[in-house]
Amino acid sequence: MSGDGCAAALAGLPGMAPFRLRDLLADRSPAQAWAAVREGEEGAEWQKVAAGVEVEAVAEAHTAAGVGVHVLGSPEYPTALADDAEAPAVLFSVGDLDAVRRPLVGVVGTRRCTHAGRQTARTFGVDLACAGVAVVSGLALGIDGAAHAGALEAADAGGRPPVAVVGSGLDVVYPRRHARLWERVAEIGCLLSEWPLGVRPERWHFPARNRIIAALVDVLVVVESHAAGGSMHTVEAADARGRTVLAVPGPVRSPASEGTNRLLHDGHGPARDAADVLTALGLARPLPPRRRLRAVPDGTDGAVLDAVDWEPTSFEQIVARTGLGLGPVSAALARLEHDSWVAGDAGWWERVGMGE
Amino acid sequence: MIATIPSATLLGVEGYPVAVEAHVSTGLPGFHVVGLPDAACRESRDRVRAALLSSNLPWPLRRVTVNLAPSGMRKTGAGLDLPIAIALLAAAGELPIEALTGIACIGELGLDGSVRPVPGILPLVDAVDVPIVVVPESCRREAALVGRHDVRAVATLSVVVDALRGDGPWPDASTAEDDPDPPSDPPPDLAEVRGQRVGRWALEVAAAGGHHLLMTGPPGAGKTLLAQRLPGILPPLTREQALETTRVHSAAGVPLPPRGMVERPPFRAPHHSASAVSLVGGGTAVMRPGERSCATNGVLFLDELGEFHAGVLDMLRQPLEEGVVRVSRARATVTFPARFLLVAAMNPCPCGRAGPPGACRCSETERARYARRVSGPLLDRFDLRVAVTWADPEELLGAAPAESSADVAARVASVRVMAAARGVRVNAAIPAERLDEVAPVTKPAWDVLDRRLRSGALTARGLHRVRRVARTLADLDGCETLDEEHVCAAMALRVDHADLGLAS
Repeated sequence: MSGDGCAAALAGLPGMAPFRLRDLLADRSPAQAWAAVREGEEGAEWQKVAAGVEVEAVAEAHTAAGVGVHVLGSPEYPTALADDAEAPAVLFSVGDLDAVRRPLVGVVGTRRCTHAGRQTARTFGVDLACAGVAVVSGLALGIDGAAHAGALEAADAGGRPPVAVVGSGLDVVYPRRHARLWERVAEIGCLLSEWPLGVRPERWHFPARNRIIAALVDVLVVVESHAAGGSMHTVEAADARGRTVLAVPGPVRSPASEGTNRLLHDGHGPARDAADVLTALGLARPLPPRRRLRAVPDGTDGAVLDAVDWEPTSFEQIVARTGLGLGPVSAALARLEHDSWVAGDAGWWERVGMGE
Repeated sequence: MIATIPSATLLGVEGYPVAVEAHVSTGLPGFHVVGLPDAACRESRDRVRAALLSSNLPWPLRRVTVNLAPSGMRKTGAGLDLPIAIALLAAAGELPIEALTGIACIGELGLDGSVRPVPGILPLVDAVDVPIVVVPESCRREAALVGRHDVRAVATLSVVVDALRGDGPWPDASTAEDDPDPPSDPPPDLAEVRGQRVGRWALEVAAAGGHHLLMTGPPGAGKTLLAQRLPGILPPLTREQALETTRVHSAAGVPLPPRGMVERPPFRAPHHSASAVSLVGGGTAVMRPGERSCATNGVLFLDELGEFHAGVLDMLRQPLEEGVVRVSRARATVTFPARFLLVAAMNPCPCGRAGPPGACRCSETERARYARRVSGPLLDRFDLRVAVTWADPEELLGAAPAESSADVAARVASVRVMAAARGVRVNAAIPAERLDEVAPVTKPAWDVLDRRLRSGALTARGLHRVRRVARTLADLDGCETLDEEHVCAAMALRVDHADLGLAS
């Protein structure tokens, strides 16, 4: 009987939770544990379910889907995770497990982020991957996805491929909007999950997923977070494990930076750019210069650019500040957006491009 | 003896002629109304009897049959009370039959013999083909709008009877005509709106080009305030439009202005709990026009768009394309006019707090559920989609009053004239195949559109809509061709659904 099949079948039992699986596999092999379940030692309900599960078929399904099954304690189990007190007893992976190798940096944040936050996350993703650091995140909407997108962009140009930890089976793409990102991380880097094929993303899977991210990484960077939210759970888990947590400073009036600014206030280090993260990692690598110098536009475009803040500014405010007509302002904004000076979102505009 | 009086009944917004025949003969005393009367119509037996007795007129103690011809058509409402009473009196020999020649009657009777107004006087009178028409007193002006009849407005049944007997005069129309019109309230003025440059601009473009407008923004930002000022900047109705709208309002029982004619573009704002029938029109027998038809030639304002039932909203799509609503029931199919400017307002998400991106406190699921309430195809019908934000406190408190409605209305009217010169009703109705001819685009403007098309930010249909709005913007600027500025502004006024957080 295949050990992998038994492990996957155990992880897929209804109502299975990470700690329960650890208990089941604490002092016996997956095959022994599976036999115990089938004999009813773990309750009649599981016995009934287990009677209908064909272990070989489960193993074949995982092999066919290209999913690796790793039991805690096996040689291929990522060492970065193996020592953790809450490490998943069984870990599933798609892609190159070799990507899960130190240095690992988590770049996480809220799904409800600002445009600036998304840009920052992307820049961190690019710069860290270029500096040879594996970017770890959760593939969620917002900051997570942007960090992954940045790392993938850099990986195409020879950077380190990213690692994603998800809260569902590796064949259940969630969120659907990130299907393409999901595919590319699996192709280039590595996708990890503690859930076997076919498991739907339940609400409580995400805090559990966050603990894996916290355990995996050497440094955790929070780009934007509201006062309460998933990222704050990841920070708690990272703090409990003694990981370095860095926060990206944000505008004091932006609700999306309320959590990160509080982290800074509470004594966590600031992450202004990837260099701060590299320093925290103890890697004194200089960042390659990426920014090109360009001249700040003048005339109408310059006046309009001056009226746009580094935080979301309404079209109304821009028009009021410039004193220009709505037509010229729209035309100037369209040109500025094309040249990546500003970005528009639902009638709000903010500066994204530097002119140094 | 037999007597016949012409009258009319209402189906939808059209009146249909009805001949009221009364036959009084010997036999067991009784009173029967035949010819498909509805409930209100059948009850006229009791009203007519009481009204005759209250007016000291004799009730014939004989067998009375009233027929409403053509008998195959359903008669609705109480407007046939007066003709039934008159025909009955004539058939009973109380009135000289020859006095009834060329006279039609419309009106409901009170038990005390008073003549009461009924809805739909304008289409009803229009359906009557005889020279003299007797209507309730308060409906005189409305009846006179048709212009083909000698309108006799009466207050009580006994006045009609006396006049027909030759015992008294018809009420003098001229004395009442001299009543000065009560001063009507001016429509709300745009000068009262402080700040809100983008909102005002969108409003002006919507009025000038007939573009449907969706405003999203937090509660209290001024969406409703702006929408209420739209009728004030629309051009006044032409005589045909005014008659069409008056006809619908009359049939729907909407109170008409004192002069009888709806001369200003109507503003209809149904509540979001409105049912499908109340919006579309219909009903089993009456076929009353709905809110959409009442808004014809004016503005239909749907506040809290997200709170309307999804099915009700999707019924808006057909009239938005065709300008009419067809309501089919087992008994009849009627067509209501429904050519209106649609203005809608909604919060960007359930918490309504979403100002700048990142400030909202709703979960992704809540936002998605809220967004699904308005279907993509309906959102697509809005040429203008703007975010309205809270006004700057400084502008609210200080600053000189903004431009008044009259100034904006002048520009709107001139753009409408230009549209008419192109052979279209409004710029929003320019057919796609004529865009190249009437909305030529300069090279820099093409480059902007080209970039947007290639990046996928603009679809082919979106391109047509952007060009129509840009046409209106260029007209407002007095330009012949569409410049970069107009095209960019048209796109700035059409925030993407996905960006509004409304795409599902």
